[in-house]
Amino acid sequence: MSDTALELNPQGEAVSRIEVDQSAEWVVTIYWASSLFWLLMATLAGLISSAKLHSPDFLGGMEWLTFGRIRPVHWDTAIYGFGGTAASGTLLWLQARLCQTRIPFPKLLIAGGIIFNVGVLLGSIGVLMGQSTGVETLEFPLYAMPLLVIPYVFIVIANFRMYFTRRSSHTYVSQWYLMAVTIWFPILVVAAEASTNLGAVDGVAQAVANWWYGHNVVGLFATPTAIAAAYYLIPKVIGKPIHSYHLSLLGFWSNAIFYNWAGTHHLTGGPLPAWTITVGVVGSMMMFIPVITIGINHHMTMLGSFHLLKTSPTLRFAVMGSMVYTLASFQGSLESLRSHQEITHFTHYTIGHVHFGMYGFFAPLMFAMMYYAMPRLTGNEWSSARLIRIHFWCTLFGTALYAGAMCWAGIRQGQMMNDPAIPFLNIVAFTKPYLWLRTIAGLILFSGTIAFLINFIRIVQPHKLRFVTPTLLNTERDYKMLLKKESELKHNDK
Amino acid sequence: MMFYVFIFIWAFALIAGVTMVWLLAWAIKQGEFKNLRQGARSIFDDEEPVGMVTDYFPGEAPLMKQLEVQR
Amino acid sequence: MTSRNIGLALGIFLTIAASVTGLVIVPNWQFRELQPVKKADGTQYPVPYFGEQLKGRGVYIDQGCIYCHTQQIRMKGYGADIRRNWGTRRSVPRDYIFEKPHQLGTQRTGPDLASIGSRQPSAVWHALHLYNPQITSPGSTMPRFNYLFTEMKDGDALPAGAFPADVVKIPAPLQTNGITQLVPNDRGKALIEYLRGLNKTFPLPEAAQ
Repeated sequence: MSDTALELNPQGEAVSRIEVDQSAEWVVTIYWASSLFWLLMATLAGLISSAKLHSPDFLGGMEWLTFGRIRPVHWDTAIYGFGGTAASGTLLWLQARLCQTRIPFPKLLIAGGIIFNVGVLLGSIGVLMGQSTGVETLEFPLYAMPLLVIPYVFIVIANFRMYFTRRSSHTYVSQWYLMAVTIWFPILVVAAEASTNLGAVDGVAQAVANWWYGHNVVGLFATPTAIAAAYYLIPKVIGKPIHSYHLSLLGFWSNAIFYNWAGTHHLTGGPLPAWTITVGVVGSMMMFIPVITIGINHHMTMLGSFHLLKTSPTLRFAVMGSMVYTLASFQGSLESLRSHQEITHFTHYTIGHVHFGMYGFFAPLMFAMMYYAMPRLTGNEWSSARLIRIHFWCTLFGTALYAGAMCWAGIRQGQMMNDPAIPFLNIVAFTKPYLWLRTIAGLILFSGTIAFLINFIRIVQPHKLRFVTPTLLNTERDYKMLLKKESELKHNDK
Repeated sequence: MMFYVFIFIWAFALIAGVTMVWLLAWAIKQGEFKNLRQGARSIFDDEEPVGMVTDYFPGEAPLMKQLEVQR
Repeated sequence: MTSRNIGLALGIFLTIAASVTGLVIVPNWQFRELQPVKKADGTQYPVPYFGEQLKGRGVYIDQGCIYCHTQQIRMKGYGADIRRNWGTRRSVPRDYIFEKPHQLGTQRTGPDLASIGSRQPSAVWHALHLYNPQITSPGSTMPRFNYLFTEMKDGDALPAGAFPADVVKIPAPLQTNGITQLVPNDRGKALIEYLRGLNKTFPLPEAAQ
């Protein structure tokens, strides 16, 4: 008892971990199943887009599949479809665990999940049919956006409900990030929609608002959710507390303050007053503080436990995520400098960086969450360790190939663009082999996702008690309970 | 016009900044920053204590070994 | 217990309130008073979009041209936009006061289009390029927008509503499948008009370098 800070709230006993997980089973599984569906759709749209860039006649001549439509569908399904549902499921389960309460309003949340999916579907079809709003990252037509916002309001309500009825007396660092996400995201979407698609702001001011939003979806939604996941999963899996809790405070607040301002680095060199760009560069460079802080915390916590990477799937994905977070963030901070941007702005480098961050940091931490939680939610075991390993190596290798190819191509592309003696079509020809590499990287990532899909489909099937040695239900008490159940089943069969 | 914009920015920054500093002072007074180390341990308990590894590849967890304390 | 959480929530809220103010509200205020300038001949620059050009802008948006093309010229000495003749001067906020929504763009898979109208004034060039980019730009990875055109073989009658002046002849060596001529449909015509109208070369006082 002395080792824990689990002080019972005088109003009631802490809800046991098993009860928390069981209350979450349907809600979180539905959100995560949705995220897997959208990941597949997003990857498919991404593969088509990638192919069209080096082979423009691939599936050509069809208006609804033209590059200018399938490409925004790719990133909208990736961010909102995959990112939105994966982060929501993570937020709900993690908050329930840390508050030691059951998930409230499950039916409302499930309804919300369905509405959200319908919204992403309608939005995507709308864009393919030519109804894009024309604003990057906010292409979904206005009739689809409320279907994305309303379910999120349900999640915010559930989140605050869990938080204000929590049994645990301490607010763990992950919970600060989760609370931040629930406050930031609705404000972001409403302010962004108002200034772009609802016309409150025009011209270049709209561009600033546009990219304030675009970058903050990454920085104030995807990133904090993934960091919250890492702060929980890494210590929980290895059985060691976070290295320095003081540092995590610094990391949280410096993140909150600086990330907000980084967005205008998408507009460097553009028709804007210098202060807007400078503010973006300063915000981006100051990000070194939270990134180093969080990096120290995660990596120092892992010291002495790296051998566990061999034996834990969750840890592999989580550590990959936290390491790439450090690398991709350093890359991004440097990328924002005007001298760097003179070469890499407008090139494939930007795309390389985005995918490095999203598929090297955000997606792996979401996968880590799912690998950890699904057995506890369903009471089932993952069917195949080999499929998990395939998923991991495909994610790692595919992301490395993608980022490497695109960043290198981008640098050369930018250098050539800055040399007016080089005809533009020569630059296009130069990038083609790298664009092929990107398609191959995408196929590798896709294969990994299929491996995960197979495991996922199997784990959500109704229970059949089958075990030789328990793996995740690994306390003695659980094991004895299962042995008892098994002997009961055997007794009934006779 | 720009004059009013500047006034607004300064006023906002001043108010926001002062509020944040006040929040920090208040948090310190509330005792937020004592016992921080306790917080790091709040995710562990009797069933899953410090030192216990809680995730393995399916079929590969040693039942009794996971209760060994990690170095 | 709850007052601590309110403190946390307030702090979180303040961080985003600050950036909304700085990056959404303030730039809006800073630019909302920008007006077009009067030219010597009495017209103004820039001009709001209307008619065919406005319709064409809609086609530009629904085809997603922004994902490969930018519409902004960087300043002299920063990149090579002006040396590549993509523009005669850098772009400034006044160039975009009538852009709803802005199409500044963030990728140059293809060249910048801010002043494409002054670089490529020919409607015939645009028609051929949009129909099959390989005709004008071999090796290009731009997709074909053949559905913005009616294809005609030798001896075909003009489509309803089209004039002989609309017909674009495909150069003989580049004809395929017996298709010798094109007529842009409504959307194709509008898009071409929009592209021909893109011209940010008018010298503005604030863009002097």
